[in-house]
Amino acid sequence: MAPCLIAVDVGGTFTDVALADLEGGQLWTTKTPTTPADQAQGFAAGIAKVLQLAGKAASEVVAVVHGSTLATNLILEGKGAPPVLLTTAGCRYVLHIGRHDVPKGANMYLWVKPPRLVRPEHIYEVRERLDPSGAVLQPLDEAACAALLKQLRDLQPPAIAICLLHAYANPVHEQRLRALCQQLCPEVPLSLSSEVLPQFREYERTLVTVLNAYLLPQMGRYYRRLAQQAARLHLRAPLRIMQSNGGMASAEAAAVRPVLTVLSGPAAAAVGATAVARHAGFRHCLSIDVGGTSADVCLAVDAQPTLTTEGALADLPLPFPMLDVHSIGAGGGSLARVTPGGGLQVGPESAGAEPGPACYGRGGREPTVTDAHLVLGRLGETLLGGELRLRRDLAHEAIARGVARPLDLSVEAAAQGILDLANHAMVGAMRALSVERGYDPRDFVLLACGGAGPLHAGRLAELLGIPTVLIPAHAGVLSTLGLLGSDCQRDYVRTVMQRHGRFDLAALEAAWQALEHEARAWLAAEGIPPAAQRLVRFADLRYANQGYELTVPVAAAPLRAETLAQMLEAFHHQHRRLYTYASPDMPVELVNVRLTASGPAWSFTPAPLPAGSGPPPAPAHTRPVYFPALGGWVSCPVYEAATLPPDFQCQGPAILAQPLSTVVVEPGHRVRVDPYGNLIMTIGS
Amino acid sequence: MPIDAITVEIVKGALRAAVQEMGLLIERTAMSAFIREKKDFFAGIYDPAGRLVYTDHDKFGAGMVDCVLAQYPAATMAPGDVYWFSDCYLSGGAISHSPDMCFVAPVFDGRTLLGFVAAFGHFWDIGGMKPGTLSPLATEIFHEGLAIPPIRIVAQGHFNDEAYRLILRNSRFPDLLRGDTRAMIAACHLGQRRLQELGQRLGAARLHAAFAAIFDQAERAVRAALAALPDGHYTFADYVDSDCLSDRPFRVQVTLTVQGDTASLDFRGCDDQAAGPINFLLHPDNARLLLARVLGWRDPAVLLNHGACRPIPTVELRPGSLVQPRYPAALGLRAHTLYRVLNSLLGCLAQATGGDTPAGSGDYVLYMLRALDPQSGAFTLLIDGVGVGQGARPFADGLDVIYSSRGQKNFPMEFVEHHFPVQVLTYAIHPDSGGPGKFRGGTGVIRDLRILAPRVILGTRMNGTKSPCWGVKGGKAGKIGCFVLNPGTPQERRLPPFGDNLELRQGDVLRVQTAGGGGWGNPAERDPLLVLQDVKDGFVSLQSAYQDYGVVIDPQTWKIDWARTQARRQAMAPPAALFDRGADFWRLEAARHGPAALSPEAGACRSGGPGPAGYRQ
Repeated sequence: MAPCLIAVDVGGTFTDVALADLEGGQLWTTKTPTTPADQAQGFAAGIAKVLQLAGKAASEVVAVVHGSTLATNLILEGKGAPPVLLTTAGCRYVLHIGRHDVPKGANMYLWVKPPRLVRPEHIYEVRERLDPSGAVLQPLDEAACAALLKQLRDLQPPAIAICLLHAYANPVHEQRLRALCQQLCPEVPLSLSSEVLPQFREYERTLVTVLNAYLLPQMGRYYRRLAQQAARLHLRAPLRIMQSNGGMASAEAAAVRPVLTVLSGPAAAAVGATAVARHAGFRHCLSIDVGGTSADVCLAVDAQPTLTTEGALADLPLPFPMLDVHSIGAGGGSLARVTPGGGLQVGPESAGAEPGPACYGRGGREPTVTDAHLVLGRLGETLLGGELRLRRDLAHEAIARGVARPLDLSVEAAAQGILDLANHAMVGAMRALSVERGYDPRDFVLLACGGAGPLHAGRLAELLGIPTVLIPAHAGVLSTLGLLGSDCQRDYVRTVMQRHGRFDLAALEAAWQALEHEARAWLAAEGIPPAAQRLVRFADLRYANQGYELTVPVAAAPLRAETLAQMLEAFHHQHRRLYTYASPDMPVELVNVRLTASGPAWSFTPAPLPAGSGPPPAPAHTRPVYFPALGGWVSCPVYEAATLPPDFQCQGPAILAQPLSTVVVEPGHRVRVDPYGNLIMTIGS
Repeated sequence: MPIDAITVEIVKGALRAAVQEMGLLIERTAMSAFIREKKDFFAGIYDPAGRLVYTDHDKFGAGMVDCVLAQYPAATMAPGDVYWFSDCYLSGGAISHSPDMCFVAPVFDGRTLLGFVAAFGHFWDIGGMKPGTLSPLATEIFHEGLAIPPIRIVAQGHFNDEAYRLILRNSRFPDLLRGDTRAMIAACHLGQRRLQELGQRLGAARLHAAFAAIFDQAERAVRAALAALPDGHYTFADYVDSDCLSDRPFRVQVTLTVQGDTASLDFRGCDDQAAGPINFLLHPDNARLLLARVLGWRDPAVLLNHGACRPIPTVELRPGSLVQPRYPAALGLRAHTLYRVLNSLLGCLAQATGGDTPAGSGDYVLYMLRALDPQSGAFTLLIDGVGVGQGARPFADGLDVIYSSRGQKNFPMEFVEHHFPVQVLTYAIHPDSGGPGKFRGGTGVIRDLRILAPRVILGTRMNGTKSPCWGVKGGKAGKIGCFVLNPGTPQERRLPPFGDNLELRQGDVLRVQTAGGGGWGNPAERDPLLVLQDVKDGFVSLQSAYQDYGVVIDPQTWKIDWARTQARRQAMAPPAALFDRGADFWRLEAARHGPAALSPEAGACRSGGPGPAGYRQ
C-alpha cells in the first residue's frame, strides 16, 4: 500500500489525468476524451485508466484533486442558472448600471454592454437600510419580505442571491432574509453577499454574489455526480477542487462558493508551471502558455505565483484574490491582416479551430502565425504526432496574398514579420506582468509551454534579455502537476475603513482575529491539523486621497505599533517598486483587512529519469529553416525530443520535436536536457 | 530613410505600451478624484518638432509642446528637464481650461533629441473663486485659478522647489496638488525612459522614420474615410443651454465641406463668446482630431495624431466667438460646448451618409455638494459625475447610463455615503428617456439623495435641458433631464441646471434626473419582444410601448397582443425626416431665426452663415 494522489484536469478536448506515488516519486499520466455533456463520465474514465496504467488499487488513493473549466464555460457561454436577486430598495438597477463606464480601451461608439446575469425583471427590492457603519436606519420589513418570498416560491427560482447595501459592515438583515428564505423557499440554494465577498462597493459585491448563485445549482449537481462516479470506482478518498487563487478546497466547500473556482483551469496551469520551475531549481519564473487563440502569462516570485484582486472574466470584474494570469489574443491561429492605413496587424482575431490556419486545408484563407512558422520551416509538415498534416503550399499562398503582396515584401520577410509582431505582442504582455510591476525579467527563468510556446521561447527570451528558458518535459500535463502540488487555501477579506492616517489598533486586531477564527474552523474542516495551519495577515493600503489600494503583508498577531510601522514601510516600498516613487511624508489609509489561510495537504517530489547510456543521439533528419540572423535558409538538424537522455546538449540552430509541440533552438542558443527531462535553453549574448 | 512595415508596427506597439504605462501610473497614484476616478488625464508621445505621434486617450493632445518650445527652444533643453504649464491662451487652446496641468519632458539619446512625452491631469484645486476651482459663476480666466505659463520645473534632474512652493501656496488642497504633481512627473520620467530605450534600440533615424510612417498611416485612413463620402457642404447646429449667468441659449454651428479626400471645417457660424465659462478655446488641430474621431467611429484603429490632421487643411474660426473667445474670457465649463461640437460633427456625417452614424448623445452631468461635517468639523466636498443615455447605433441600442468620458467609473452609493453626509435613496433607470427607435437610445438615470447634514451648498452642471438628443434615420429624440428638489412633495421645485450657492437643508431630497440618447431607425421596426422585455425591465412604459413602438401589451398577462400590434404599427406614419430633433429644438431655432427656421423636414437646420471676421488657420 503506497499512498497515491490522482489529479484530473478537464480541458475543452481532453481530460488529463496523473497519478503520483507520493513515496516513490513516480508519476503516471494519460489522457481521455472530455465528455462535454457530462464531464463526470470523462473524469471517471480517466481515473479508471490511470489506476490501471499504474497498477494501483482505488484503496491506495488518498485524495483526488480536480480542476475544470466548467464554471468558466457556464459564465462565458451564459449557461448558468439565472437566479433572482433581493436587494435594498432603490438598488434594482445596480447590475445594469454597473460602474457607468465604457471599459478602457473600448470604443464608445462600438462597445455593447454585455448581457447582465439577472435582468431587472428578476430583481426584487426589499425595504431596509443600514448606514456605512452597519447601524440599522430602517429595520427589515419582514412582512413584505415574507409576502414576496411566497410569490417567489411559485416561480421556483434555481437560486436566490441576496445583496443589501452596507451588508459588509453588518450582515444582520441578510441573515434574517436567509432565515425567511429557508422557511418559505426551503429547496432553493442561497448566496449572501456578506458571506461571498464582504467588501464595500455594491456593484462588484452584488455581481460576485449573483455569479455565485448563478453557478450554485449546476456546480452542486456536478460535484455530486463526481462523488457518485468515485463511489462506483470504490474510491473513498476525498475530492478536492482547484480554485482561482491556486489553492484547493474540499468539494463541499467549493460547492457553496463556486464563484471562487471560475478560473480553476488557468490557475492549475500557473501552479504547475511554478512547480516544474521549482523542481528544476528556479524560484523566479515568468511563464507563457501559447495555444491556438491566446497566450497566458503568469509570474512566480519566490516559487509563489503572483495574485491579483482585479481579475475579470468576460468584462465582469472579480475583485477577490486569484492568480494573476494575463491573457492576450496572440496564438498560433492569430490572423495577420494589413490595415487600410498600410500597417500590419497580428491578432487578436483568430482563425480558431475551424477553419483554423490556412495550412490546415479546411478552408481558412487568411494567414496565421502557424502558417508563418510552417513557411519558414520552423514547423514540420505534421502536427499532433502525425494526426494533422499541414499544407505548406496553402500557407505560402495565404501569406503571399494577405501580407507579402500588399506590403511589397518577400514571402519569407512577410512570414518573419508576422512572427516578429506576434513576439512583440507576447513580450508586451510579459513586460506588463514584470517590468510594469517593478520586476526585472532578467532575474527570471522563462518557462514556455502550450503547443506554440516553445516555437517562440528563444526569441522572447532574447527580446526580454532573459538568459535561461525552461521547456517542461511534458507540457501536456502541466495542469495536473499544478493540481498535485497545490495546498489547501482560502482568502478572507473584511472592509475596515481607517482614514486620515489614524489607525485603531484594537479594532484592526479584532477584525483580524475574527477572520482567523473563521479560517481555523475552515482549515480544521479541510482536515489540516492546527500545527500545519498557516495564517498570513494582509492589509489593503493607500495614501489618503488615492483611489487604488496595494495589498501588503502584516506581521503575525498581536498588532503592535512596530508591526504597524513595518506594514507602512512595506507599503512605501511596494509603491516605489510599482510606481517608481513613494511619499512617506503623506498619511496612509487602510481599507480592507485580509487573511490567507492555507495548509499543505501532501507533498509530491518527482524522481529523476534514469541516466542515458550509449553514444549521444544523432538528429533524426535535417530540413531547411529560415533564420534571419544567419542570412536566410540553412540546413537545420531536427531531433526527436523524447529520445534525448538527461545531460544531452546541442547548439542552435536546431529543432527538437516533442509530440505536442516543437522547440526551436535559435542560432547562438544552447539547449540541454535536465535530470527530469525538461529542456533548459541558454540564450547566447 | 526607408523603413519596413514590421518595424513601424513594433514602434507603434512600444509607443502604445509606454502611453498605457504612463496612464496606469497616473491613474493609480494621483490624488485628485478628477484624475483617479474620472480619468480626466492624458498621456502622449511627440516627435522632435512637437507633433503628436501617439496617444490612446480621447482628449486631443495636439499642440501641447508648442508653447513650451516657444518659450524654451529645443537647443536650450537638456536631458532630465521637465516643463510645466496650464495657460490656455498661451497654448492656443492645446490646454482648454486652467486646472489641466500639463507636464512636458524632452527625451534625449546622448545629445540627440528623440522627441517629447507629455501628460496632463485635471487637478482638484488650483485656487479660483470656489473650492474645486471651477464655478459656473466665473466670468474671467482669473476666476478660474492659477494660470501657469511654461516653466522649467525640473532642470537637468534638479527640482525647482521655489516655483513649486509658489504654486502649492495657491491651492486650497496643497496635499492633493503635491500628490498629483508627483504622479505626473513620475509618469513623464517613465515615458522618457521608455522612449529612450526604444530610440537606443533602433537609432534616432529609424525611430523618426517610423514616426513619419505612423503619420502617413493615419493620414491615409482619414483620406480613405473622406473619399467614401459624397462631396458637399454639411451643416449642423446644436445648443448649450446657457452660459450660467443668463438663461439665453448659445448656438454651436459647424459646416463640414468634403472635397475628394480632403475636408474643411467652418465654425464661424457659432454664437459670439459668452460672459460665463462655457467658452471653448478650440485649437484648430483639435478641431481636426475631433473630425477624424467622428469619421473613424467604426474603426478604432485609426490613430488620432498629426497625420490625421493633414487631410483637413482649413479650419475657419471667428475670434470673439464661442469657440475662439478673446482673452480673458472664462473657459472652465467648456466641456458642454465641446460635446455640442462633437455631436454637430456627427450630425454632419449623418447627413453625408444618410444616417449611418450613432444618434445624438448628452454630456455628462455633475453636482457638487459642500458641507461642514458636524462631527469632525472638517470641510467636505463631493463632486459626483452622473451618467447619461448615449445615442443608438445602426447596429445596437445606445448605451444606458454611461459617463461621456471613456473609462470613468461612478461613485458607488456605498462610497458616497462613506464620504459625505447624504443617503442615496435611489439609483435607477430614467424610464422612457431613451429615444424610441429600431435601436433604442440609451436611458438616463435617476439619482435621489437625502441630505443628512444641517446645511449643504449645492452646485449643478447639466446641459441639454432645453432640447433633447437627436434621433436619426427614423429614430426619435430622447428625453431631457433636470435637477429637482423634494420631488413628489408640495415643496417640489426645479433647480437651475447651471447653478451654485444653492442651499439645501437636512432632510431635503435632491433628484438628479439625466437625459436619454437619441434613437436610431423606425421604432415600428423594433422587435416587439425586445419592446416587451424593455417594459418588464422598466426601461419603457406600457404607454410608450403602444404610442412610440406600436406594441400592445396586456398589463395583466404581460403578453403581446400580436393582432392589435400589427394594426397599430400599420396605422403609424413612417418617419419623414432624417433627424428628429424634438419640438423644443425648433422652438429654440424659431426664437433665434423667426418662423423660417421651422423646417424640420429639411432634416438639419438653417445655416447661420459665416460671420464677417472669419480667419483661416
